[in-house]
Amino acid sequence: MFNETPAAGPGHGEMLDILARARPNRLKQHAETLLTALGEINVIANRTGLVMVPMRDTVKNVDFHLGEVLVSEAHIADAAGHVGYGMVTGRDLERAMAMAVIDLSVAARGQDDITANFLEQERAHLAAVDEERMRQVEATRVEMETF
Amino acid sequence: MAYVATRGGEKAIEQAERLFRQDLGTIDAQRVETIRATMPYLIDRVMGEASLYDEELAALALAQTGGELSEAVLVLRAWRTTQPRLAIARPVKQDEVLTQRRISAAFKDIPGGQILGPTLDYSHRVLATDVLEGKPFAPPAVDKAASSAPAKQPSLADWQRQQGLVAPANPSAVSPEDIPDLTREPLLFPASRAHRLQSLARAETGGVLALGYAAMRGYGNAHPTVNELRLGEANVVVRHPRGTEFSAGRVRVSQAEVTSKEKGGYLELGFAATFGWNEVKVIAAATLDLNSDDAPVGSPVHEEFYLYHTESVEASGFCIHFKLPHYVTFQSILDAMRDAKVKRAAAEAAGEVYLGEPEEEPVL
Repeated sequence: MFNETPAAGPGHGEMLDILARARPNRLKQHAETLLTALGEINVIANRTGLVMVPMRDTVKNVDFHLGEVLVSEAHIADAAGHVGYGMVTGRDLERAMAMAVIDLSVAARGQDDITANFLEQERAHLAAVDEERMRQVEATRVEMETF
Repeated sequence: MAYVATRGGEKAIEQAERLFRQDLGTIDAQRVETIRATMPYLIDRVMGEASLYDEELAALALAQTGGELSEAVLVLRAWRTTQPRLAIARPVKQDEVLTQRRISAAFKDIPGGQILGPTLDYSHRVLATDVLEGKPFAPPAVDKAASSAPAKQPSLADWQRQQGLVAPANPSAVSPEDIPDLTREPLLFPASRAHRLQSLARAETGGVLALGYAAMRGYGNAHPTVNELRLGEANVVVRHPRGTEFSAGRVRVSQAEVTSKEKGGYLELGFAATFGWNEVKVIAAATLDLNSDDAPVGSPVHEEFYLYHTESVEASGFCIHFKLPHYVTFQSILDAMRDAKVKRAAAEAAGEVYLGEPEEEPVL
């Protein structure tokens, strides 16, 4: 289970959001380029498991469990104790590990230019995918006066 | 209790399984991917009823069961038990869902407007038989709007509360770890609202539809109008070991609110949600929720009735178990029947009337 320590600074959540939905092949390729600089890595966990997803009922504000989502998790640390963590939906353990490696690299060495570029490219890609879809969705907006 | 042994059963059972699997042929990754990519609504239905969200595994379950839905759900639920629970996500809130379909049949001017999204609701249902004549069906492209639909849409129920149309609701004060969980504890009655909604979320679609339809046709207390139907994608928000919240990915979700009439100065509302896009299920389930409060015990809209009878694995399992040998039970029925005939004949020979043995109530 996750601990309750304070969040790791501004931008961390957004970076993790991007990494979890980044294109798998590009994610893995970028993680490979960071590995040698990280030295010895201790793998604390690399496994599949379940995350229970609750939802809030809109009628009485009661939280209830919708069901469980299969996820892959990777939890790693370097010799200095910096932590890298990845969790993605699905059963791709390499993808979770790649996310953890990039997270560890940023935690240990800060965000290098190549990682910053990678994150920006993936952010733009994800935003473009969403925009494309939501423009299609917007085309189905209906005015009920004339419907 | 007595049993009848079946000789030669092991070999017959093995060959029966082989015959089933032979009929389905070789299952490979390509077949699984084809099912996943081409049947998203079937995948959604299986994931919802299995209460396990993973498109790839749902497609595999369909492939290896030949599309026998109750078997597919069973095998997925069984597989789920092999996995550890790593976390409980932050509760999904309606106004945080990436909404791709949102309609209301009760209010035409809802805040955020109405978006039809992907639907066949207003289309002719015509089978594309040309495909079978060698003419592939290529769908026309959507004429995209100049700007995007808003990623998030406000909660209609909250707006209605502000208008005084819907009863106030207390903020949720239960931490995610303390939410009642049917996968860890039994369903007891009267059920908590959390148990009721979780049970409906994983209920069998056909069962929910049948009982919800019964309520709609008049076997319930309330006739539903869709207050809001919403299909979208919800983030699975988890926590990094250093405390940062982030989304591990998105899952498709459906939710429906239905309303009926005024009660105590407010509109009554029923609610339901499920994994995947399955609007028939959530409308029917919300109708059952709407009808529950004053439902007579034993009616199809009483929560004990519909929650027990729409649990897919228990229902299908109980149904198919009747195929298994019941020879001893049935033999006792034959014995009783023959005994009654003998007694009736003896009574008639003596010029008396045989009234028979009193019938016992069936034991479930």
